Amino acid sequence: MLNPLLVARCKQHRVVLAIAFLIIFPLLMPFKAIAVNILIYGLFALGFNMLFGTLGLLSFGHAALFGGGAYACGLVMLKLGLPWYVGILGSVLAGMLIAATIGAFAIRTRGIYFAMVTLALAQCLYFLADQATDLTGGENGLRGVDLKTIQLPGMTLNFVDPLTRYYVVAFFVAVALFVLSRILASPFGAVLEAVRENEARARACGYHVRMVRYLAFILSGGFCGLAGALQALHLSIVPLETLAISNSGLVVMMSLLGGMGTFFGPFVGAGIFLLLENLVSLWTVHWQIFVGAAFVACVLFFPRGIWGTILMGRGR
Amino acid sequence: MEMTKKAAVSRRSLLAASALLAMPSIVRAQTADTIKIGFPVPLTGPYGTEAKDQVACAQIAISEFNEAGGLNGKKAELLVRDDKLDPGEAATRTIELIEKDGANFICGSLSAAVQLAVNNVAKQRGVIYNSISQSDQIAALPDWSKTTFHEGMTPHLTAGAVGRYAFGKFGKKVVFLQADYAYGHEMVAGFKAVGEKMGIEVLADLRHPLGATDYSTLLPRIQSLKPDILVLVNFGRDQQISLKQATDFGLKKTTKIVAPVLLYTARQAAGEKAFEGVIGGTSYYWGIESTVPTAKAFNDRYRKANEGRVPSDYGALGYAGVRALLEGARRAGGTDTAKVIAALEGLKYDFYKGPQEIRACDHQAVQPVFIIESKAAGANPNDVFNVISTDAANADNLVSCKDEGHV
Repeated sequence: MLNPLLVARCKQHRVVLAIAFLIIFPLLMPFKAIAVNILIYGLFALGFNMLFGTLGLLSFGHAALFGGGAYACGLVMLKLGLPWYVGILGSVLAGMLIAATIGAFAIRTRGIYFAMVTLALAQCLYFLADQATDLTGGENGLRGVDLKTIQLPGMTLNFVDPLTRYYVVAFFVAVALFVLSRILASPFGAVLEAVRENEARARACGYHVRMVRYLAFILSGGFCGLAGALQALHLSIVPLETLAISNSGLVVMMSLLGGMGTFFGPFVGAGIFLLLENLVSLWTVHWQIFVGAAFVACVLFFPRGIWGTILMGRGR
Repeated sequence: MEMTKKAAVSRRSLLAASALLAMPSIVRAQTADTIKIGFPVPLTGPYGTEAKDQVACAQIAISEFNEAGGLNGKKAELLVRDDKLDPGEAATRTIELIEKDGANFICGSLSAAVQLAVNNVAKQRGVIYNSISQSDQIAALPDWSKTTFHEGMTPHLTAGAVGRYAFGKFGKKVVFLQADYAYGHEMVAGFKAVGEKMGIEVLADLRHPLGATDYSTLLPRIQSLKPDILVLVNFGRDQQISLKQATDFGLKKTTKIVAPVLLYTARQAAGEKAFEGVIGGTSYYWGIESTVPTAKAFNDRYRKANEGRVPSDYGALGYAGVRALLEGARRAGGTDTAKVIAALEGLKYDFYKGPQEIRACDHQAVQPVFIIESKAAGANPNDVFNVISTDAANADNLVSCKDEGHV
């Protein structure tokens, strides 16, 4: 059997391993833009998973956090004329702010009610963006989020180049992974686990369970907002659909597919979903049947998701 | 154990990835020296029928070009992608077409939002995009760029042509009923622009949410206003349902119903009763073949390839869009972007519906608009409209380049 020390080391350095994988990942994909998409949706699912996987709160309004971040980044760049990194910062803050607002209403509810309240509030944001045509472009979306070059001390990166664009996005995803890993390893992470495992006992130990949930929601908003900003920069547009209900459903599906509550599951889920969608729709317009069947099979036979099942199969 | 897991996964993904990598490279090897036209259209979703016809028509332009020997032996190839009527998906597909497939030109799309998304992506990468869907913004700044071309009509042009005809013929008292989204707003703005000059009186400007199924609260109100004309500005299923309910309600007895665009495919799907007597505009109707020789040639070619059916309006735009790009490449002697743009600017052509021109300042196709009336029952199932008037190509009917922000 394997050396337990080695296993512990791997777990300890999962961020390093993840970064190594991020570096070779674009070479394994059919084209770079899909690798970028997988990272962005993986990050989105990661933020969602923080709430769903770690605390068991099923939100149906996460598109508001993702889309809110995307619009924030676009608007900071387009309307305020500020550089792209301010846009990214703005998107993280916007994601957290929207999460704080939605959370203030939703966090007192549980189960299906939580899902419904988050869904309703996310729809409010969708229609707000639809109506505020002068600001957001309404139905036509926000266009012209053009980032062509990135100035670094001593060098200029061409963001339109596929591989450069991938590595810039991968850099932010790696930072997010590192931050999440630190959060989960911190005392706060231990409290999150305590609340998930036994809420009554956590409360008895003196933890403010609702506040823990609220904070987790806000942090989740930060990750989703960042994912939104990366998408805005990648596509150079912010479609109104990023705020749509279908986007909220998509992230639930990706999380379930990959394995909720696992660290890398969201990325696996996003990767498999997007690859299936991309490859199947190249040869048939009925791609949804195949993706849907794969999803149903996955839920029936791998209730822990693909990554969760792999972890289980390895006796963990 | 963690290590074994990592190893197993990377082996698997490596195998899968090498299989994935192999596929496109085989395809690439076969088509190394062709002119590639990326064609993102919504094959799935509510406009699937129209999109499939766009592909069928675009394919005709490709095979005509290839049969004529291509460009110094260089053949053309159409790369069709499903944009799912979603701007984000369309943007991703366009990036894929340009970066992975090495598309020389992009053509396609069937919604305002999608074409603006595709345009932004193509513009960022300096690739020529010829849009074949309705939009006013695409030809105007800030969306427009040197690489942006627009073979499709604009709401201003369509609504203007229909308005000029209807307001002059059926009366000046008008009620608007519009679907509450960008398409509705732009079209109504177009109708009002031409209506103001003709002195129409707007009795009411009503809106219904997109995808409404019940118009029974609005119809009595419209009838009590006794308008000469009801301008019904909605699309697809909304148009079918609202027309059907207006017909059942008896509104047609007192009021002429006018729509900015009558779709051949929608009329085929909904049947003659709901559409009977409704007047609207179109970019193309196959029936013009009796007077336009190029339309006859195009229809015959389409019939031969598609079991005797005839091309639809939006489909024909796919033909014109792709053919314009190929014509540009032929005249430029290659696919160099700057040379093709120079060749296309001011190009005069007659591909399928009479003389057209690409306006040099904004790359908008100056084109004829046909005013059609839906028939009761035609001689055959394809025979659904009468062309009652033709607005010949005239740049004065478009928004001027100055108003679009061009210098």
